[in-house]
This record gives sequence, C-alpha cells and structure tokens, in this order.
Amino acid sequence: MKRKKSGQVLAVRRKVSWKLIKRQRELIILMVPFVIYTFIFNYAPLFGWVMAFQNYSPVKGILGSKWIGLDKFKFLFVGNNEFLKVLRNTICMSVINLALSTFCAIAFALLINEMIHRTPKRIVQTISYLPHFLSWIVVCGIVKEVLSVENGVVNELLVFLHIIKEPVNWFTKPKLFWWITAFANVWKETGWNSIIYLSAITAINPELCEAAEIDGAGRLRRIWHIILPGIKPTIIILLIMSIGGILNAGFEMQYLLSNSLVQDVSRTVDIYVLNYGISQNDFSLGTAAGMFKSVVSIVLIFLANATAKAVGEERLF
Amino acid sequence: MNADNDIQQMIAEKIGAICRETHLTGQTQPEAVGMMIASGDYPDIIAGGNSTKQLIEAGALIPLDEYWDDYPNLKNFTPDVQKEFLRQPDGHIYVFPQGELYKKDMTVNAAEAFWIQAKVLEWDNYPEIETLDQLFDLLERYTKENPTLEDGTSVIPYTILCYDWYYFCLENPPQFLDGYPNDGCCIVDPDTHKVIDYNTTPTAERYFRILNEQYNKGMIDSEFMTMSRDEYIQKLSTGRVLAMCDQYWNFSDAEKAMISAGMTGNCYVPLGLTIDPGMSEQYFTSTNALSSVDGIGITTSCKDIDGALQYLNDMLDPDIQTLLQWGVEGVDYLVDDEGMFYRTDEMREKAMDPAYKTSHLCSLQLRCGYFGMNLDGKNAAMPSEQPSEFFETLQPEVQRAFEAYGAKTYPDMLDYTFIDATEAPWYPMWTFANGFSTSTEGGMAWKRVADMKHEYLPQVVIAKDFDSAWAEYLEKYNECNPQAYLDELQQEVYRRIKIVTGVDESGN
Repeated sequence: MKRKKSGQVLAVRRKVSWKLIKRQRELIILMVPFVIYTFIFNYAPLFGWVMAFQNYSPVKGILGSKWIGLDKFKFLFVGNNEFLKVLRNTICMSVINLALSTFCAIAFALLINEMIHRTPKRIVQTISYLPHFLSWIVVCGIVKEVLSVENGVVNELLVFLHIIKEPVNWFTKPKLFWWITAFANVWKETGWNSIIYLSAITAINPELCEAAEIDGAGRLRRIWHIILPGIKPTIIILLIMSIGGILNAGFEMQYLLSNSLVQDVSRTVDIYVLNYGISQNDFSLGTAAGMFKSVVSIVLIFLANATAKAVGEERLF
Repeated sequence: MNADNDIQQMIAEKIGAICRETHLTGQTQPEAVGMMIASGDYPDIIAGGNSTKQLIEAGALIPLDEYWDDYPNLKNFTPDVQKEFLRQPDGHIYVFPQGELYKKDMTVNAAEAFWIQAKVLEWDNYPEIETLDQLFDLLERYTKENPTLEDGTSVIPYTILCYDWYYFCLENPPQFLDGYPNDGCCIVDPDTHKVIDYNTTPTAERYFRILNEQYNKGMIDSEFMTMSRDEYIQKLSTGRVLAMCDQYWNFSDAEKAMISAGMTGNCYVPLGLTIDPGMSEQYFTSTNALSSVDGIGITTSCKDIDGALQYLNDMLDPDIQTLLQWGVEGVDYLVDDEGMFYRTDEMREKAMDPAYKTSHLCSLQLRCGYFGMNLDGKNAAMPSEQPSEFFETLQPEVQRAFEAYGAKTYPDMLDYTFIDATEAPWYPMWTFANGFSTSTEGGMAWKRVADMKHEYLPQVVIAKDFDSAWAEYLEKYNECNPQAYLDELQQEVYRRIKIVTGVDESGN
C-alpha cells in the first residue's frame, strides 16, 4: 500500500505473471466471449470510419472509393450553418436535459426518502418509474395529446385559469421546443433516475441523521448538511458519465416531436446523420458527422474525469 | 402472399409462382432504401419509387434488357419512347414502369386538385367555383351556418398537409393556379421551353396571401403545421375537413373510412381552381410516356432471376390482368352479348367490402400492369374505370354534384389535357426532381430550398404580418442558391427534348 498526498489509499498494481493468469483462468475464460462481443460490435465497425475520408460509393466499396481527405469535415464546418446549428441544438438540449433531469431526480429521491410509511412510499416509487418502460413513440404520442390545441390538457387548463385567451399550438414555437423535450424526458425518466440516488441515500449512516435531529436540526437542515453531502460522490460520478454523452441528445424524441416549423432547433446530430447519411445517400458525410460526435464525446469524458480528479472528487478512472 | 385469398391462389396455380409482398411501415422510403443499400441486402423484386435511381447507382439492380428477349409480355409492355427515357447512361434498362397506358386513358379519378365536400356544394346549390377566393367565400358562408358536425365536433373549413414530402399540398398549387400542369418542381414554358420558378411568382405571393388571410380569420386548421400524414388522414376521416388541396391517391383512404362510417355526403369533389377567373387549367393531364426512372426492378440479391422475370411476365398475361383487375367471371363480373363487362349491385357492394377484398380479390401491387383499357380493347382495364360502372359506384351525394356540373367521372369535373410526350417530352419534371441527390450542386440547393420551404412556408401562412413574412421567405429562398437547381432542371428539359426530337436546344 502506498499513500498519496490526498490521503487516498490506492491498491498497488500487481505485476501480471503466468502464475496469476493461471490462477484466474476461469475468470479469464468467462471474460473471453464478452471481449469478442465488444470487439465485433464496438470496435470492428470503427473500420467504417474510413468512409468519412472518402467519397464513398456503395458500388465501389470501401476499397475502391476515392479518397478525399478532410473534404467532408470541411463541408460540415466551413460555411455550413446547418451543421453548426445542429451541434448547438444537440448541446443545448443535452445540457438543459442533464441539468433538469439531475435536479428532478435528486429532488424526487429526497422527497421519497422523507416518506415515513412504507406502503405509500413503495406505491409512489413504482408508479414513478413505470414511464421509463414506455417507448418514446408512446411517450411522444402522450406529449402531443397533452399539448394538443384541441382538448389538450395543458391548453384547457390554461384557458380555464385565464392565463391564455385561446389554445396555443405549442409545437410551433421554436423557443419552447427544447423545454418540451426536456420536460418530456423528466416525465419519463425522473422515477428511474432517482433509484440510484435513493440507494445512495440509504447508504448514509442513519445515526448521523438521528444525532442531527437530537441537536435540533429540522428536515431541511438534515437534507442540506447530511444527505446531500452524503450523495455528492454519486452525483459527481453520474455527471461525469453523462458529460461523455452530451452529444447524445437523443434521436427518437426530437424526431417524433419535431415538425417543419421548429426543424431549426429540433435537429440533433443523430437526425442530421440520418438525413444525409441514409436518406440522401451521402454515407461519407453521415460518417464524418457521427465520427466527430464520438471524438468529442471521448474528449469530454477525459476532461470531466480530469476535472474531478483535480478537485479531489470521485472519478471514473 | 395471403394464402387464404381466392384469386391469389388461382394466380399462383396458373403461373406456379408466389410473390410475398411487404410494404414499408413507419419508415420513409429513402430511409428504407438507404438501409438496404448500406447492408447490401435486398428483396428479390423491388419497387423503389423515388429512390429507384439510388438503387441503380448502388448497383443493386440487374440490367433487364439482357434478359427480356425470352419474356415477350415484359419486353412489349413498355413503349419505345418510354424505353428511351428509362435507358441509363451505360445503355442498360433496369426497371419497368409499374403501369403502362393501353390504347386510351380511361382514368376516372383525378389527381391533384382542390377538393371540397359534396354536401358543401349542395348546400349552396352547386355554384360555379373558379378561383381560390370563391372557394374560401363559400367555405366561410357554409361554416357560419354549419359550424359543427351532427355529433357536435367543430368543422375545419380548410386544412393543409405539409408533413415531410407530402408538403406539395402546400407548396405546389401556385403552378396550377397559374394554369400549368403538375411538373411538380417548376413550370416549363411550352413555347420557349424555359424553366419558370413557381416559388416566387406573383401568383405564389397571392396564393400565400390568401392562405394567410384565411388562417388569421380562423378558416384554416390551427394544427396544420404540426400534423403528420397519419394525423391528417385521421382528421379527414372524421368528416370535419370541408376542403383541402391534395392528390386523390393520398387521401382516398380517408374517404373510404368516411363511406364505411356512412358519411357519404362528406366525400370530396374536385375543383380546378385558378388564381383569376376565366383562365384555363391543367389539373388533370395524361401522357403516353414518363421521363422517369421509377418502377420495378430485380435485385442482385435475387437467386432466381429467370423465375422473377417469368413471374412478372406471367402477370402481364391478358387473362391474369383481367383476373387481377376484374376478378372471376360470373362471380365478380358478367359479360354481355357485345363482350362488355358489367357488374350487378350485389357484386359492386361485395367488391367494396374489406373482408371480401382480403379473402377474395387480389391486391398484389408488386407487379406490372396496364391501365387505360383492358387488353381485349373493349373494356376499361379496371372495373372502377368502366364509365358505366364508375358512376354507379359513386356515393349519391357525389352523383348529384356530378350531375349538376354535367360530369360522369372526376376528370370530367376538371379540364382534360393530353400531353403528348413527343411534343412536350419534359413533362412531368418531378420525375427528375425526385432523383436529386446532394452530390450535385443543384441537388444540394434543392435540398436546402426544400428544408427552407418546409420551415418558412407554414410561417408565411400563420404570420400576423404577411408582407414581412413573405419578404423574409424570399430572402431565405435566395440564400439557398436556387439558380443551381433551376439550371439543372433547365438542362434536363433540354436533355429530354433531345432524347425524343433529337434537337439540342441547350446551346452547348
């Protein structure tokens, strides 16, 4: 064992020896299928990335197509507002989504945790994560129905409360689209996301809370000084993992809820890849856009991890 | 192929082949074809529609002209002028059109037009309606007196489908309103052979100004801009929509649903509107050759090319064609002394029954077939096009409307135009525009323009201030470099003229 400045204890790496391998052979054999699986499905397809540097034509194939260097990337970034807009949409929607869903999940977990009776607690919890199992197409159908001009709950309610005079077609407002997707996501995932926070909360020693209570701390005090610091490592780990996926703003939700009036703010990188790569048959452009996305994701995840390390917090690797 | 279907069984026995047909669900055609090309895995026979060109470019189809000498029905199916249009730069022909005109166009259904419910016309005693203004005037008066359907749901005087590629319902009427046929992507001046851009004509501005006024008056569906095609069909099926501009084939499902729900008065009647009264219109046109590369091909994934060809060839047999279209003699239709086919009321009703259709009649679409006349040269190819038959199949309300306007069929409601491919070989230009891909400058501009129009045209309609919205639309339009695709369209017009007349007008 060696001690680092921060006081953390790290296991010393053992040297890999034949003896060790022999001892762990069952484990290694168990691992082999998964390594093969990962290689075939996650690494081998990366070969297709070469398409991004070609003027790929399905007839000529990867080996026969013409090499064009970085032309496709130039097309994406030089004088092409469309892709920059798509990038902006993806990042903004992701950030809004991440912030809102993390906040809601934590708040929800805290609320659930404060429930004393077990049965209602379980019922609420179960109901809250059921939407997670619905597919996006169903959820988007519900969202459209709820926001519909005719007999949509939201419009009826707002008209009833005299907040608006007549029903509004919410889907025609480009400014609202990101928020609609964010709240749709919150509705679907809050319950599910809160599970992990809830389990982190239960791991906190109850004696701490009891002691605080005896010292006169109210509920809010206990949440603020004991529970939130207690789950901070979990929050940070989950944030790091989400930051890597920040360019994965999603596809189905935007694709299904979008319409031509809001297409400027609704297209994500994935939709762009579909539009150009598949519908327009420009495989090279689609690959270039997808590749850019992956590279940025990898960079982001390293950055987030390094930041966490620098401030002395939990980290992924 | 549905094994429980009588006629499909009979055909299978006759030709010894079975075709299993799948249609796209929940996937647009370019996406589906794109996926096939990416995977290299195709069905044996494919009707690629607008994506046929991509299939050919991807090398997915076999050259049919190398095989068809043994299959006379197939070889003679396509007229020579059509073959010239189908021929690819490498000299080969890869697809057959799915339909070819035999002898005479008997079409009874109109294509794109402004459609209005028969009961609305009846309410106003069948007025003469020539312009868009007159249409909206009628709709307004009608809606004022009949704001709801019988069950209390409010009517929608006018709706516009602008979802995905179906947005032609919104964007292409300016060409019709100006009195030109459906070239779909531009107007071609028949005298100068010059391409005219209908997106920016004064007529386009007037058309959108009318829509804008009507929208702000509450005459146009408040949800039209966010509605998908499914939602549109659903809306039409309720009988709430009084009028719209559309292709008949696009909304005919909704009409069938209304008929089965007993709302026969809500069926639509076509109107050939123009921007000013007294103009000639060309909503309904018929031509003898399409300069398109769209049809049925056999793919490289097909293990039995001769079998596939034999199947397509056999399906063109006169008996099979009659069987497919008319059904079984004595069961589905009768023949009089002069050889004319006719049906009894009972037979007609049966043929409309969905259950009977699935169990007895053959709806197989993956095949070639004749339209116009039956191969006997006497009857119409389809019972629905037998003039005597057709009028009988109409709903009483539609019949009354037709009688009031002196029409027997839908095209009778419009002016009939026959466009001879030897004189106007460029028609219709949409067959070229549908093949645009982003690999050319024009194709890129076309995509940009389409994206831009998808976004801005609905905004023009719903704008509070039309003039500034229209100005913004024009500005955005010009930013898309439209000249690039107009130039390519112009070259295509010249190319098509050259194929047929041999004269090169391009000046190159």
